[in-house]
Amino acid sequence: MEEIANALARALSFGTPLLIACLGAILNERAGVVNLGVEGMMALGALAGFAVAYGSAGDGNLGLAVLAAMLAGALAAMLHGFVTITLQANQFVSGLALSMVGLGTAGLLGKRFEGLPLFNQPPEWPFTLGAIMLAVLLSFVFYATRLGLSLRSVGENPAAADLLGLNVPALRYAAVAAGGALAGLAGAYLSLVYRPSWTDGMTAGLGWIAVSLVIFVGWSPLRAVFGAVFFGLLYYLQFRLQGQAAIPTEVFASLPYLLVILVLALSGLRGQQGNAPEALGKPYRRGER
Amino acid sequence: MRKTWSMGVLMALALGFGMAQPANLKACFIYVGPIGDVGWTYAHDEGRRAAEKAIPGLTTQYVESVKPADTLATVDRLVAGGCNVIFTTSFDFMDQTLEAAKKHPNVIFAHASGFKRAPNMLTYMADFYQIYYLNGLMAGALTKSGKVGYVAAFPIPELKRHISAFALGVRAVNPRATVNVKWINAWYSPVKAREAAEALMAEGNDILAFTEDTPTVIQTAARRRVPSFSHYNSMYKYAPDYVVSGQLVDWSVIYIDILKKVQNGTYTPKNLQNVDYWWLAREKAVMLGAQVGMPINPKFEAALKKATMTVNGKKVSVYNRVMELYKDIQSPNPKWDPFTGPIRDRNGVLRVPAGRKMTVKELNEMQWVAPGVVGPVPDEPK
Repeated sequence: MEEIANALARALSFGTPLLIACLGAILNERAGVVNLGVEGMMALGALAGFAVAYGSAGDGNLGLAVLAAMLAGALAAMLHGFVTITLQANQFVSGLALSMVGLGTAGLLGKRFEGLPLFNQPPEWPFTLGAIMLAVLLSFVFYATRLGLSLRSVGENPAAADLLGLNVPALRYAAVAAGGALAGLAGAYLSLVYRPSWTDGMTAGLGWIAVSLVIFVGWSPLRAVFGAVFFGLLYYLQFRLQGQAAIPTEVFASLPYLLVILVLALSGLRGQQGNAPEALGKPYRRGER
Repeated sequence: MRKTWSMGVLMALALGFGMAQPANLKACFIYVGPIGDVGWTYAHDEGRRAAEKAIPGLTTQYVESVKPADTLATVDRLVAGGCNVIFTTSFDFMDQTLEAAKKHPNVIFAHASGFKRAPNMLTYMADFYQIYYLNGLMAGALTKSGKVGYVAAFPIPELKRHISAFALGVRAVNPRATVNVKWINAWYSPVKAREAAEALMAEGNDILAFTEDTPTVIQTAARRRVPSFSHYNSMYKYAPDYVVSGQLVDWSVIYIDILKKVQNGTYTPKNLQNVDYWWLAREKAVMLGAQVGMPINPKFEAALKKATMTVNGKKVSVYNRVMELYKDIQSPNPKWDPFTGPIRDRNGVLRVPAGRKMTVKELNEMQWVAPGVVGPVPDEPK
């Protein structure tokens, strides 16, 4: 029993940054914009958060640190927004570039913070609880509010949304910025809470797991909660079951990616793109079909 | 007489031409991780900076976070930039360093922790195995559950040697205790180190040690009030109440020695085939400590003085035993070594006969592990 409780605690702890980043990605993908730059935005958020939390000598303000991380993520995302929404460039290419630019910039700017210990460490649970509440809130917004309907229609059929008088670029910008802010927050969780310090490359590919989680949970915020916990559990079990399970534990480490492929294959067989929004990845240009 | 004379002329010629002293000594370092890891790479960089201060006329350069597959390309770039001594500081750089040494016969290469050499490529290592035994003694004295956890990077001889020395120490104090190992298959992965440490604590391990390049295990253990041991650098500051001791390195003594000998012409790109540094506490390349100058955290002194163990039929405090052995291994001619036979591996096979010490070569190729080590160990001989 204690073992199960502990495994669940680990799954929640590791799943929290996945869930936060995944919710951000769902938000902007629902509005029709893919942003593969999650890893880069997380790195920038992790650095900005740590820098502010460290302050002058480990005495910075934690609340401000979280805000700074979200701001850093949002600003980086706006760059992606400008390139893909205003300039209508390829979203996948721009996102990939953002992931690399984000990691590189954070590594460069973060030099002076490397190896510094953080003394005022916030607890984990408020972040976990907040992330779950955010999932519920997003779900409510998507399916029970006018704003959610507008966002979704911009992602499904921007031409129709435009005809109805919705401002497609504005809605997409807002969604992209919010998605970036959440990726930044996920980064702050890593550098302030999960392992309170800053080092280059500390996001360790979690951003990519979050991106694949979006597909795994079929763009549903509520399912994202369970998906994140499930992925977190798999990650923990690869260590917990090492030497004790009949199957090699490396299988657990690769399962998240295998499952995403499986989900994509299954939805492909059923002749649909998962639950992907119709206009996902397509720039919208007025008057063009 | 005539022969000696002609030899002398030859040597003078050789010194004058082939191995003209580099006017500008430029030492370049290739690191496997980021300097900010606060572990392995950080320690090497501290050594680099100390060498630059200590040796007049020396300039240095470094490249961090280099993937092993990119070693050769990185070397090419550094040689083009005027580097005449190149240090490659990770085991995984071994093969490409050898390839680079063949490609650039006039450049001196030094590879850390490996075993392949060439006329212009030496090897060096500051090894911890003796210190690990001392930490094992302390872990054995402090564990209440009899279970000590170990987060380990890769199942290579270096780690098997360290984990085994650690386990021998643990068992010298507590013969029934186990050292439970989790492999993370990464040198640098804060996320994996955290989850592996969490798993070990969930399994009841109440003391943690590790080989990984970040202070993650220390931070994770401290959150659950579990004592741990520092690795590579002074990690005391990350958890002053919970870091018991640890193993610390000072690469600068090796870097300064090598570079001085390159500068004064002792080392040339032609005579390094048999040069291998295997430096220990005696050479001041490694130290015992939670941080430099603190062999044992004062917070744990009382508990370690109270804990006793039997040495040659006599009862001694663990604290005194640690201090006694630490003094011995720092002396010019240490009498004691943790791998003194008889030692059996965990499957009962006699690996070191009574009265014999393991050689450096044996230590470098060690694939078996000592009794008390629990967990899967790849490439373990049956």
